[in-house]
Amino acid sequence: MRTAVRFRRVLLGLALALVAAFLLGVAVGAVWVTPWSTIRLVGWKLGLVDRPEDVARSAEVIVFQLRLPRVLLAAIVGAALAASGTVFQGLFRNALADPAIIGVSSGAALGAVLVIVTIGAGSLGAFGVPLAAFCGAMATAILVYRLARIGPTVHVATLLLAGIAVAAVISSVMSLVMSFSGEEIRNIYAWLLGGLVAQGWRSIATVLPVVAVGLAGATLVSRELNLVALGEERAAQLGVEVDRLKRRAIAVGALLAAGAVSVAGVIGFVGLMTPHLLRLVIGADHRRLLPAAVLGGAILLILADLAARTIIAPSELPVGVVTALLGGPFFLFLLRREGRRAGARG
Amino acid sequence: MAEPGLVLEGVTAGYVGAPVVRDVGLRVLPGEVVGLVGPNGSGKTTLVRVASRALRPRSGRVSVQGFDPYRIGGREAARLVAVVPQDVTPAFSFTVLEMVLMGRTPHLPAWGGGGPEDWARARAAMAATQVHHLADRPIDELSGGERRRAILAQALAQDAPLLLLDEPTTHLDIRHVLDLLGIVRGLAAREGTAVLAILHDLNLAASACDRLVVLHGGTVVAEGVPGSVVTPSLLRSVYGVEADVAVDEATGLPMVRVEPPPARPPSVGRRAHVVGGAGRGAPFLRRLTEAGFDVSVGVLHASDSDATAAERLNLVRVSVPPFSDIDEEAAGACRALMLAADLVVVCDAPFGPGNVANLRLALEAAHAGVRTFLLEGSPIHERDFTGGQATALWSELVGSATVVRSYEELAVEVR
Repeated sequence: MRTAVRFRRVLLGLALALVAAFLLGVAVGAVWVTPWSTIRLVGWKLGLVDRPEDVARSAEVIVFQLRLPRVLLAAIVGAALAASGTVFQGLFRNALADPAIIGVSSGAALGAVLVIVTIGAGSLGAFGVPLAAFCGAMATAILVYRLARIGPTVHVATLLLAGIAVAAVISSVMSLVMSFSGEEIRNIYAWLLGGLVAQGWRSIATVLPVVAVGLAGATLVSRELNLVALGEERAAQLGVEVDRLKRRAIAVGALLAAGAVSVAGVIGFVGLMTPHLLRLVIGADHRRLLPAAVLGGAILLILADLAARTIIAPSELPVGVVTALLGGPFFLFLLRREGRRAGARG
Repeated sequence: MAEPGLVLEGVTAGYVGAPVVRDVGLRVLPGEVVGLVGPNGSGKTTLVRVASRALRPRSGRVSVQGFDPYRIGGREAARLVAVVPQDVTPAFSFTVLEMVLMGRTPHLPAWGGGGPEDWARARAAMAATQVHHLADRPIDELSGGERRRAILAQALAQDAPLLLLDEPTTHLDIRHVLDLLGIVRGLAAREGTAVLAILHDLNLAASACDRLVVLHGGTVVAEGVPGSVVTPSLLRSVYGVEADVAVDEATGLPMVRVEPPPARPPSVGRRAHVVGGAGRGAPFLRRLTEAGFDVSVGVLHASDSDATAAERLNLVRVSVPPFSDIDEEAAGACRALMLAADLVVVCDAPFGPGNVANLRLALEAAHAGVRTFLLEGSPIHERDFTGGQATALWSELVGSATVVRSYEELAVEVR
């Protein structure tokens, strides 16, 4: 079919673009490292080739200690946010849903902050913070879903209002918690703004399993999310156990958002823009949209992070600022179009 | 299988408060098309929701192919019951093919796409509903009728032995209504599908269904073959309308004839007498009545459609039996009505030996000074079946009457 052919082409294009973005992300910085050097260094670490003699020892340190983990983390976080956005948009039957906009990211952040402040980040093992973030995200998602739903539909206005209201409450609770946190406040604050600053390989080891589980879950619910888009009663008529699906989709969306937030703070709009733009290109089938969004989200956040650390070098912007600068106008454009469509409908 | 098709027994169901349907029994056998009819709010959609596992009944028994749909999983139930809802508006822009393939969901494994069989089923369903050429088009760009047909294809792809349709013909033009009902009947005949369809148009329901079930106030008030169910007394008691039910001679099916009741303004205190015939008078009877005139009519043959119109409007009328000439008694009665009227309207009816006397009566009234109007939509010689007699009388009438071409012209004259 025409759409299937286009999907394969788009996916191939995205994969190539991801490799390019990855090499670019590693190459650019205070010291330029050529993509060819990076490729050979990685090949050497994987035991495929001998150590490239012409690459300086300092470049090796820069690549493996600084840039590679950072770019990899950006890719994982971007993929997780885009996948979370895809799942939430499907569940809410609304193309304006995004883990940050509907307050789920804030909920995850609150969960994480509570654990960091009360018992310390490391006291529950590597997965303590992501687990707390997941609980916060899950509670927020359920709350916002209940608030936003009127009868069988989730309206744009109620969804946004519920998200804003819940996020506002969460942010004031968070301020309260942070005021008790003493000297850690500065670190927490930097993390909250959304940053991928020098986290090293440990963060990747923490977030990768969480996101992998989330992506597997998202893949499992993607087909039935298509049917939910037809309305819950229709989905049930076609054999979907709707309540079970909703619980699963909320859990999956919250897990992906929590994974991203626990290492990179609140980064908005990646989960909004990526699925939305790709839907225009490859159609609405979530089984296709999900893998495309995973690649697209990774590319988007690698490039956003690249911009964040180069625009005002040697200082850095929080990457959340960059995605907001990109995504804010995009969001307003969508909101306006959605409003006009609703007006046309009557 | 103990109980093929759909069986409802003593079903009471509703939402909050009083139940919407009470103690309903219903049976749809394989290969049978049953029409569910009844006024708005009689519980038709509620009953379909009960049968489609969307609304668990408070009491009573539901069986589809021998299974209670509320005791099996959603997937299993969706393999037994397919529903065509009133409308589906997807939140995202799926293509028609994607929509129709979703109909295969209950047949697919928990994970993975469809196989060649599923594709073949989807294609067959699209071909049957004539949407195959729209396969790659986004569903939200289709016309209302095309979207309805795509949704029907989705339900057909489900390949279930029971098909429930909730007003499937709304938004469809007449050709696609007939195509849809043809598809559904074909499905029942070939595949033995049991079909229950909510239909609003009684004539359509009578012609498309083997059996009709009439729901009124949440209970079944009539059930049976269309001819025994669609009767004037049922239309009066269930819908509160006066209607004629004729039997179509070619098919033996009942045909309901209704029209909106005339507006009844306060009387203007003047009486118009109408000379009609062959249905030419009926529009004038109605519009003069609506303009506030007291209206009388005659002389008519009792079988004439003008007589039926006059009866429905409850007008004073003089009539003679079908095919008989106007006798002295009728002529006398009519003469009295005409002479006492404020105006006489002679319609452009055909005149033969049986009714040419009406023209003589009108001439008498005109000569006696009653304002007389002649409606001349078509020339008299085309309507003269008396060998010139009617033409001569008409010409004489023209001399002492006002000729008008339409009701509007008449209305201006008598205002």
